[in-house]
Amino acid sequence: MIQHDSSPSRKDIRKKKQANRVASQASTRIGTMLIKIVLLGLVDALSAYSAFMLAEQGNWIILSIVVATTIVVNWIYFRRDGLVAKYLTPGLIFLLIFQLFAICYSTYIAFTDYGTGHNSTKEQAISSLIQSSQRRVQGSASYKISIVECGKTLNFLVTMPHGEAQIGSEKTPLHEVASATKDDAGQAVSTPGCSTLSFNDLLSRQDEVTSMRVPMSADSQDGTLKTADGQTALVYKSLLKYDAAKDIMINTQTRVRYYDTGVGAFTSKGGSRLSPGWQINVGISNFRQVFTSQEMRGPFLQVLVWTIEFSVISVASTFVLGLLLALVFNNSRMKGRAVYRSILILPYAFPAFLSALVWQGLLNEKFGYINQVLLHGVDIPWLESPALAKIAVLIVNLWLGFPYMFLVSMGALQSIPKDLSEAAELDGANAWQIFRLIKFPLLLVSIAPLLISSFAMNFNNFNLIYMLTNGGPINANTNMNVGSTDILISMVYKIAFVGADRNYGLASAFSIIIFIVVAVVSAIGFRASRSLEELN
Amino acid sequence: MRNTIVERSAQRITESGSNSAESKTQKSSPRFFQFARWFRRTGWRHCVAVVACCFAGFPILYILSASLNQQGTLMSANNLFSHVAIDNYIQLFHLPEQPYGDWYINTIVIGLSTAISSVVVGALAAYAFSRLRFAGRRVGLLALILLQMFPQILSIVAIYLLLTNIGYIVPALGIDSQLALICVYLGGALGTNTYLMYGFFNTVPKEIDEAAKIDGAGHARIFFTIILPLVTPILAVIALLSFIGTVSEYAVASTVLVAPQKQTLAVGLYAFVSQQFSQNWGLFSAGAVLAAVPVVIFFLFLQRYIVSGLTAGSVK
Amino acid sequence: MAVFSKRSIVAAAAMTSAMLVALTGCGSTGASNTNASVSAGSSTITVWADADHTATLKSVAAEFTKKTGVKVKLVQKDMGSIEQDMITQIPAGKGPDVAIGPNDWTGLLATDGVIQPIELGNMKSAYQKVAIDAFNYNGNIYGLPYSVENVALIRNTQLAPNAPSSWDDMATTATAAKTKYPYLLQVGSQGDSYTMYPVQTSFGSFVFGQNSDGSYNAKKLTVGDANGLAFAKWVQTQAKAGNLSTSMTADIALSKFEQGQSPYIITGPWNISAIQKAGIKIAVDPIPSAGGQAAKPFVGVNGFFLSAKSKNKLAATNFLTTYIGSEKVQQALFKSGGVPSALTKAYNAEAQSDSVIQGFKKAGENGVPMPNITQMSSVWQYLNAAEVSIINNQGDSSTLWNNMADSIKSSIAKQS
Repeated sequence: MIQHDSSPSRKDIRKKKQANRVASQASTRIGTMLIKIVLLGLVDALSAYSAFMLAEQGNWIILSIVVATTIVVNWIYFRRDGLVAKYLTPGLIFLLIFQLFAICYSTYIAFTDYGTGHNSTKEQAISSLIQSSQRRVQGSASYKISIVECGKTLNFLVTMPHGEAQIGSEKTPLHEVASATKDDAGQAVSTPGCSTLSFNDLLSRQDEVTSMRVPMSADSQDGTLKTADGQTALVYKSLLKYDAAKDIMINTQTRVRYYDTGVGAFTSKGGSRLSPGWQINVGISNFRQVFTSQEMRGPFLQVLVWTIEFSVISVASTFVLGLLLALVFNNSRMKGRAVYRSILILPYAFPAFLSALVWQGLLNEKFGYINQVLLHGVDIPWLESPALAKIAVLIVNLWLGFPYMFLVSMGALQSIPKDLSEAAELDGANAWQIFRLIKFPLLLVSIAPLLISSFAMNFNNFNLIYMLTNGGPINANTNMNVGSTDILISMVYKIAFVGADRNYGLASAFSIIIFIVVAVVSAIGFRASRSLEELN
Repeated sequence: MRNTIVERSAQRITESGSNSAESKTQKSSPRFFQFARWFRRTGWRHCVAVVACCFAGFPILYILSASLNQQGTLMSANNLFSHVAIDNYIQLFHLPEQPYGDWYINTIVIGLSTAISSVVVGALAAYAFSRLRFAGRRVGLLALILLQMFPQILSIVAIYLLLTNIGYIVPALGIDSQLALICVYLGGALGTNTYLMYGFFNTVPKEIDEAAKIDGAGHARIFFTIILPLVTPILAVIALLSFIGTVSEYAVASTVLVAPQKQTLAVGLYAFVSQQFSQNWGLFSAGAVLAAVPVVIFFLFLQRYIVSGLTAGSVK
Repeated sequence: MAVFSKRSIVAAAAMTSAMLVALTGCGSTGASNTNASVSAGSSTITVWADADHTATLKSVAAEFTKKTGVKVKLVQKDMGSIEQDMITQIPAGKGPDVAIGPNDWTGLLATDGVIQPIELGNMKSAYQKVAIDAFNYNGNIYGLPYSVENVALIRNTQLAPNAPSSWDDMATTATAAKTKYPYLLQVGSQGDSYTMYPVQTSFGSFVFGQNSDGSYNAKKLTVGDANGLAFAKWVQTQAKAGNLSTSMTADIALSKFEQGQSPYIITGPWNISAIQKAGIKIAVDPIPSAGGQAAKPFVGVNGFFLSAKSKNKLAATNFLTTYIGSEKVQQALFKSGGVPSALTKAYNAEAQSDSVIQGFKKAGENGVPMPNITQMSSVWQYLNAAEVSIINNQGDSSTLWNNMADSIKSSIAKQS
């Protein structure tokens, strides 16, 4: 590239420098461009592949979203400007797909009655109701059958109890068949003009076969034949009948009619409901229930107060201990720091919810290690008494959480310029003053946001409560399944996943309220710490 | 400039101070005073450290003792190390229905992939927030953090439905795919971690970028070759935090990973004690002890970056 | 896009080629995948089972596949997550065709419309009556039972050579044998009214009244009657004497028994193998009466449910009725789980050769089926909580017991 190699004049040096720059720039450009092309190629390949699959499935809405996103992503990386988008897109894509979707979904669910007995569509509920309303006719026989295909319709070729063969399909009730071939056991297996389905045929058409209902006779009171295995058929009568035209469910015995009254289940005039029902939109009624329901308000407030106490104390205690230890170890003269640090990090190295289980054993009143060995056989009801259980939860959370604060404080302390404290030392400040006036404020700048997000994390610290106390001890005097160490999120869990009356919609409403509370408190916290401003 | 002067003078003073102290102690009863001085400077630190280590370590010792005890119940470990046998550890690798070895490898692979990807994705975003000026920057940063505060317990159902549907289109990213699990974890990569990095990026003076820019370096080059090396400590911290977070995550992993040989340690280990009628604390403890090993090794490996990587001078 | 430079065009070209390479790779695997799923989709059934039973089911599945050509996808799940996962996944068109589970899930799963009745036809009579009743919900049988379990009194024959004649007799024997506890009855911090139920019934206290056909009547709540109060009082006395404690978890009770600290423990067949492994010689007896009437334990039944949205109903039903329902498989499941079979023939064979099973059989003879109605979960919740607070002496036993009865009543009223 650089041809002339004469004595270095100033001009030449400048040229050389420039050339070097261009060369290195070009090489990195090509390198980064290659990486960029490969990565984008992968992304495009993936989306092209999914586009084909989506087209095959005829899912045009998702297809257009995928195509649009791909075009936007390519545009972002091929245009010269728009640096911000280039740096933010990778993270934002994952965020949008997984986090935001979950939030949107929960929000949607919060406005429905999704829960026990209301967890599918109306169509599915109808088919479930019909499915489970089939009653075998008392004392009726079990019939040997073969499935035969005559023309295009499937038929049951039935061997009657006395040995004669009858045939019938969904449209034509059972009737005598002219002639039928029988096997050694006397079962009719085929009839002229029809082909018998082999077991493999049965398997490939099992949906069709198991949904067949062959009337015993022209009188519907005689019931229908139905098979579950393709070899034997039993006589059933349906307890419920769905009238699609009028959209009503009719009990064939009592003649009671059940209507779709808009409550997500077929309901009779007398108010009794058929279950399963289906999921419907209930507007803001879940939210209203959180705030207005008498029996919920008491426990809700009690739990809210404890949740705030729990998260504030947890953050404070872990931070104080973590910072203290970081300060203690922030001394290069101290020997064996690596060993201490490794031990101190151990609580963090064990999966937290597993440690919580172990702590439950340690805190056992009569047999636990803490009462039996450490405290020489006293009976302290750590997890039995409401007040002590709260203390126990806080201690365990301190154990679980201080290594994080220790790590973070350790890192932050390193970033504080040493000369600042040295200058102060020169000015005659003592260690405490240096800490309070110089280190701590600086530390807080970088750590305050972490404290706030740690508050948010503890606010939703489900694993600890679930594994350690499961919310207990339960207050036997309230009606709600809420214990004295339950925090909001563990209460939400109980509403959504425990018991016979699981109310996912209500739980979602709760979680949105929790989210708003946490987000508002945190946003205020960020404002107050002014950390965003200071760091600019 | 001022700082270096201060530093130099400070150094002089501490040197002279320590000299005088030494000469004093040599005069009278050297051993006691040496000890006292040692205690005042670093000795008390050891006392605090030992107390803290006891607090941190005794439950761990308890788990260790239970893991060496064959009885299979947790309380039988009360007499620490009354039985010592490694049967539990051996048995752990010979359970056909509970492939512990697979869980172990899965956990490390998923943990490391998530950690590295989170660091890359988070650092990219942190750089944008720190160096580029755009509308909605502050609000955007705050929104990222706040979004991560959505209670996760109820997202599980949403994530299940989402992955099921993705699985219809791209089977490799559906339910029971470890890649899908990593993607879900990356959904949380922008958040607190980004914020932590953002703070550190800000401590790197802008003059460095500008100088590089004048030299003709592109933004990608500045980012990868100049900025990233300067913020190694925080990258190490984030990698460690996200590794630990992934290793101990249970709820999402247990929903996404179905087949036992695809699961992670947290999911598999919990099954040892979740059934009231077939709890096996011995196996559980042995499994938990081994599970902690990679985290500790990873920590030891990253420790020097975390603690000594960021000296104030190099950044100024 | 006037800004597209030469560089971008080159890049675009390069990228297209990269994309094509990647695409051909994906395309070929994609095609083979769809082919495989077309042929397999029609004849693969998915079975959910817990770790204790997958090994046995694997060999059953292999035999089934050999005979019928239907593939079985066996998915090993944590027992604790099966119920909720069925509720979440089946309405979405996913989930299993067949899933293992205890009979007390029946009510909730049927209410959610995720399971469908299994038609046993004339095979019904081959099973123990209690096993079929346990899966009977609103007149349909929703599960194919494979095992029947109940708690009994396990006796350390070295410490107590003879079966106790009454509850107090146990204390006498224990004093003579100088053991720390007269009997071991697990409670735990969350309470365990299941294990305590035989004691409760010996006072004549039952949760629900039963209909004439043996099913439970949620409208006849009997837990709050005088017999219940007598039981509550007894619980408090025993707790004050140190015999009942919430510290006594299942885990601890078992290890105390293994250490010979009591001649008796009330537990089920699932713990027998551990006890025998610890070298304790045992006999299994009916639970003696504490309140004067017969002690009736809950008889729980384990079985397999059939998904309401199964697309392979025929194959799945065949798998359940002719394979899982066979004597051979039932006995194999007994061997892997230690809980005796639901099929009468298999059960009798097991009881004949095994005195322990015989003991459990005898103890369960006057047992009552584990309720499967959805209302039962409110009962568990409040009954457990009440027993815990009585044992921890947090108030007068009658007050706490009455509160519990009221809570259950109002909770059930809310559900219907």
